[in-house]
Amino acid sequence: MSEVIVVTSGKGGVGKTTTSANVGTGLAMLNKKVVLIDTDIGLRNLDVVMGLENRIVYNLVDVVEGNCRMKQALIKDKRYDNLFLLPSAQTRDKTAVSPEQMKKLTDELRDEYDYIILDCPAGIEQGFKNAISGADRALIVTTPEVSAIRDADRIIGLLEANGIHKIDLIINRIRMDLVRRGDMMSNEDVIEILAVSLIGAVPDDENIVIASNQGEPLVGNSSMAGQAYMNIVRRVLGEEVPYLDLDSGTGFFSRLLKRMGLN
Amino acid sequence: MKQSVMIKGNTYGITVVLDPELPFSQLKEDVAAKFRESSGFFKNARMALAFEGKKLSSAEQMEIVSAITDNSSIQVLCVVDPDKEKEELFRGKTEQALSTDYNPGLFYKGTLRGGQVVESESNIVILGDVNPGGKVIARGNIIVLGALKGNAYAGISGNENAFVAALEMDAMQIRIGDAIARCDDNRDEDERSIPKIAFVEDGNIYVETICKEVLNDIKLI
Repeated sequence: MSEVIVVTSGKGGVGKTTTSANVGTGLAMLNKKVVLIDTDIGLRNLDVVMGLENRIVYNLVDVVEGNCRMKQALIKDKRYDNLFLLPSAQTRDKTAVSPEQMKKLTDELRDEYDYIILDCPAGIEQGFKNAISGADRALIVTTPEVSAIRDADRIIGLLEANGIHKIDLIINRIRMDLVRRGDMMSNEDVIEILAVSLIGAVPDDENIVIASNQGEPLVGNSSMAGQAYMNIVRRVLGEEVPYLDLDSGTGFFSRLLKRMGLN
Repeated sequence: MKQSVMIKGNTYGITVVLDPELPFSQLKEDVAAKFRESSGFFKNARMALAFEGKKLSSAEQMEIVSAITDNSSIQVLCVVDPDKEKEELFRGKTEQALSTDYNPGLFYKGTLRGGQVVESESNIVILGDVNPGGKVIARGNIIVLGALKGNAYAGISGNENAFVAALEMDAMQIRIGDAIARCDDNRDEDERSIPKIAFVEDGNIYVETICKEVLNDIKLI
């Protein structure tokens, strides 16, 4: 049984694309057949984070408009044969696709793939409506900042109004040193406001920046963020995974220092 | 033969036409008989009432009203002055009476999130939190069984007796009647999680911890 997952946040720059890339890659690492769809028409960048930009020939709009077959537009990942990307168009805008067309497109992919991951654009306009139209469940990405949480709250309301009730929260870029000092909201604070279940918290990790720039998602590697993303992937699959101890005090820092020393 | 009592109806109420020649006691009996007969027709109707024909004192009006209600299941919402008797007037009076009566309130279960609005012509009870950006708008009172972090507008048609109560009072803005209060820019963390009630006194909104003395002063509309 396949599942269509939309990764959304409302606010921009909180890590939707990074999360889509890592969750998608992680699922593929666990032998699931996955397709990633970049629904941010006009501002595509999932292909860049995946390091597949140079392989783009056709895109999402081409498929919808019938300029090519689905198979021609899907790009196979560099590392995993069971991972595909449907890139978005750069020269068009969100109105090039309608929610009905998106639903039809995702339904078409259900036959062949286990997971269809939709990277949603920021905002709540047409692009958002397109992205959620075919989704079964949603991963909400937020950072522990009030502005991101406000937008996440609004997004959850809109998802529920559109009949998507399987909603999980990812708290991204958490900094335990700030949380400990009381200068940043903790996971508990965020969950209390948003009243949805937490599926994972990802620490603010410089390796994410490095991995994104290199076009190789870090999910599954030994970095804190890599482990956190792998745990999220397992939880998406329904496994019970204990939460990473982001708050391991000196342990965390000594590990960090050790890694920096090794590098 | 001319009937001593006649019932005329319109959409919102009935007019009872009384024969001015007959004594009051006789009329009262006739009204009772008339309504007993037609109680099946009126069933549990709720309506406004007017008198025509004979001039009645308010005590006499009350007696007639009780004669009607005792002998039928009609609920008389109000008695309309016959001189100004008009369908318009009936309508206004009935709707006014029904708005607070028919619709005792609205319950909303779940988190009211940013951008979402719950509105009611009467009172609202929220079983959950109202998040920042969420709005609760009521003609009557608002009670939040959770944290109120958004906006609450009570007594929206200008009723300053309305109140807003919450288990955790951390509202962004409260409006009651025409009064507006916004949250303090430097709020005390501990103060937020106490059950509080907001009400209007001398045109200002006061937010107090819920206790017996405060509740005693609350007037229900």
